[in-house]
Amino acid sequence: MSLRQLLLRHRKDQRLIVGGLAVMLLLFTAFFYLFLRERDLPAFLVTNRLLLFVLWYANVVLILIVLFVLLRNLFKLLVERHHRILGSTFKFKLVATYIGLSLFPVLALFAIATELLQGSIDRWFNIPLRPVLERGSAVAQALRDRIEQQNLRDAQQVLRETSGLDLRAPAERQRLERLLAELHLDLLSVYEGSEFVQGVVNPQSGMKDLPEPRHAILEEAAAEGEAFQIDTPPGGRGKLLYAAAAADGRPATPAARGARRTVVVAATLLDPALAERTDRLIEDFQSYRQLEVQKDDVRASHLLIFIMVTLVILLASSWVGLYLARRVTVPIQALAEGTRRISGGDLHHRVEVQADDELGVLVDSFNRMTGELANNKELLERGNRDLTLSNQRLAAERALIAAVLQSVAAGVVSIDSEGRIFTCNEAALRLLRQREEEVVGRPVAEAWADPERRKLAALLAEPRPEGGKELHLFLGGEWQTFEAKVTALEGAAGPPRGRVLVLEDLTELIKAQQLAAWNEAARRIAHEIKNPLTPIRLAAERMLKKHRQGEPGLARAIEDGVEIIVREVATLQGMVDEFSRFARMPRPQAARTDVQRLVAETLHLYQNLKPGVEVEARLDGDLTGVTLDAEQIKRALINLLDNAVEATDAPGRVTVSAQRRDGHFAIKVADTGRGIPPEAKEKLFLPYFSTKGRGTGLGLAIVHRIVADHHGSIRVEDNHPRGTVFTVELPGA
Amino acid sequence: MRATLALLLCFLAFASRARAEAKISDFQIGLDGNQVLASLTLASAFDHRFVARVDSGLPTTIVYRFELDVVRRNWWDPRLKSCTLEVVAIYDAVDRVYTVHFRLDDKLIESRTVHDRKALEAAMTRVDRLPVFSLGNVHDRRRMLLRARAELGSRNVMSFIPVLITTEWVQSDKFRPATSAAPGDNRSRGRPAGSAAAPPAPTPPPPQP
Repeated sequence: MSLRQLLLRHRKDQRLIVGGLAVMLLLFTAFFYLFLRERDLPAFLVTNRLLLFVLWYANVVLILIVLFVLLRNLFKLLVERHHRILGSTFKFKLVATYIGLSLFPVLALFAIATELLQGSIDRWFNIPLRPVLERGSAVAQALRDRIEQQNLRDAQQVLRETSGLDLRAPAERQRLERLLAELHLDLLSVYEGSEFVQGVVNPQSGMKDLPEPRHAILEEAAAEGEAFQIDTPPGGRGKLLYAAAAADGRPATPAARGARRTVVVAATLLDPALAERTDRLIEDFQSYRQLEVQKDDVRASHLLIFIMVTLVILLASSWVGLYLARRVTVPIQALAEGTRRISGGDLHHRVEVQADDELGVLVDSFNRMTGELANNKELLERGNRDLTLSNQRLAAERALIAAVLQSVAAGVVSIDSEGRIFTCNEAALRLLRQREEEVVGRPVAEAWADPERRKLAALLAEPRPEGGKELHLFLGGEWQTFEAKVTALEGAAGPPRGRVLVLEDLTELIKAQQLAAWNEAARRIAHEIKNPLTPIRLAAERMLKKHRQGEPGLARAIEDGVEIIVREVATLQGMVDEFSRFARMPRPQAARTDVQRLVAETLHLYQNLKPGVEVEARLDGDLTGVTLDAEQIKRALINLLDNAVEATDAPGRVTVSAQRRDGHFAIKVADTGRGIPPEAKEKLFLPYFSTKGRGTGLGLAIVHRIVADHHGSIRVEDNHPRGTVFTVELPGA
Repeated sequence: MRATLALLLCFLAFASRARAEAKISDFQIGLDGNQVLASLTLASAFDHRFVARVDSGLPTTIVYRFELDVVRRNWWDPRLKSCTLEVVAIYDAVDRVYTVHFRLDDKLIESRTVHDRKALEAAMTRVDRLPVFSLGNVHDRRRMLLRARAELGSRNVMSFIPVLITTEWVQSDKFRPATSAAPGDNRSRGRPAGSAAAPPAPTPPPPQP
């Protein structure tokens, strides 16, 4: 049942109760009015007591209905409490408090009032009033009886004395007047059947006219022989007590009863004061007897009043309790229902309860909160949709990246912030000659624990890896050359989330470069050898020609030719020596070296070598105890300085800087010279490559060879604003 | 709710009657043309409670209910007619007379004055050839019977629940109305016992002191 239906039903109940109470009050008022005015109402209206009975019964029924409604309310409360309906306990306590507060005083009042009424009624009738009234009434009745009997005897005496006389004669009227006076009567009249014959009245009685008795007394006297009647005399003062006697007493046969008989009527007028007193005595006793008869009804009516008032008070108490409780519990139930609906997902539900107190504020707050929840939910759902789309997009991108990574030739390894290998593509596994299960998910130190692969771990362990490094690893029985580049995965904020190692296999490239270099070297060697051979051949042919022609300048020609041949052979010899030296370059013999001293000694050779070109050193920190082959490094440094000084025009500057950083040792040779074209940088370290057009072209190749033998790297960059910078980095310093 | 109220009302309806000690005797019917005449005597009606009420001067009523039925096989068979005779007695202690009113179906048919209680009892408890029904407009010629019951006021149960004091229903002999009954209803011409049409038993004179 919805909340609205519940409220409507309660409203219907309340209307029913109010209507019932109104009808009960109306009926009870009617009943009570009739009960009090019973004696004053026409007999035909009240005497059959039907209306009174119906009204009384209607009241009883309505009282039972009120009792039923009261008990029904209480029963419903108990049932609700048993089923633990929200708010039922509060409602039950409130109603119980109200009923309890009113029940005990009302019941006490009811008991006291009932007992008091019972006692009062009993006391009323226990007071010795009845004997007094009864005696008084009896005295009054006895007085009347005595007068009536005396009148009857007098009437019988008159009947005897006038028997056979014609009472219509005027003389007989005097006889009647005499008898009236002798017998102290106030009225004496004679009838034949119902026909008036003669009558006299006591003039001292105050009656001016002869009163006419009712016909019934004459008929009854004729039928029964005697009859009595009490009537009010003309003028309305006092009472006339009639007694009628018929001649021959009671007729024996029906025929005699039908005959016209002489009836004498004697009457005595009671003094008005005496008559009133006797009437009052009789009426008082009658009133008392009526009260006696109605005692039970009076008690019942008062009991009915007490019961009804008690029940109405109890009903009102329970009703007020229920009303107050509902004012609290209905909004609470609505709120609970709203909470249930909202917890079920219906955020558009609103509590529609009219309340103007704190509960109204609570309901308003609840509705406002529900609205905000709905808005927030809508925002969340929108955000969730966007997030889902983003995730889908990211997943697609991730799949694409994975596919790309799997398809690229370079090996890509990602390492998380805890040093575990997160991903490793196929190319990396192939290059490193490992299986995926040996690598992925394992710490770097565990996956690359062998001495060769540990170089990768060392590279990753560098705090700030910069650029790419060439690594030579002996894997699978052969040397592999990689260009390894480590990139930090920077988060949007905070510490790096890991690193990415990109391995590029340079082995084949280097082999190809070496092959090309050797081709170039062979071409250059052939060219270089060819150049001296031509003068040699020409000199030899000139000498041969001079000899054959026998020209006089043969000696001179021989001297010149020999000189040319010797010079060119020397050139060839130098070329061969240089080549031999490059070919015979020994493996470095590392020893702890004072780099500062090494640099200083080398720079000393170039002081004032080229006017306008300054050569200076910038040495930072402690440069002693660096492990390297001092001779080879010095040769490399000389080659670099040769090129720098030669490339720098005056005024210019050549700067040599050296520093130790994070276990590495770096030397930079920077000049402010002409710089190197980009296309020449790629071939700069190849043997026999030269941009100068002279020399062997082996200087930078030797430098590269020395650095490579030290497991280091060398790179060339543009100097700013002009010139070139050669950077040599050596590990394990 | 409705069922409970219906049960409550049924309970009250059945509990609202109490059996009287009075009994209807000599219940007889007669047919006078179309008129159904009823005669009965109500015995033991004037008990102490009833006499006290009468002598107190309060209006005291005996209601006779008459029902004319065909011989019914089932209780739901239709009833032909019903009527009530109310006999109301009011005592005037000053004038020492009992005035008795007779009303047939709320129509006053007679008022009578009696002077003693025996005459009153006779007037109130005897019905002599009272024309209660007319068969003029009754075309059912099946066998019929007359039922009668007397109601003698009420008393209180549990001090506040009134109950009606009634006698048992009595039934007359079964009869079949004449087929040649003439139409018309002259019921109002009837008289209760002691009236001019059917004079009551002789009323004794008032007690002598």
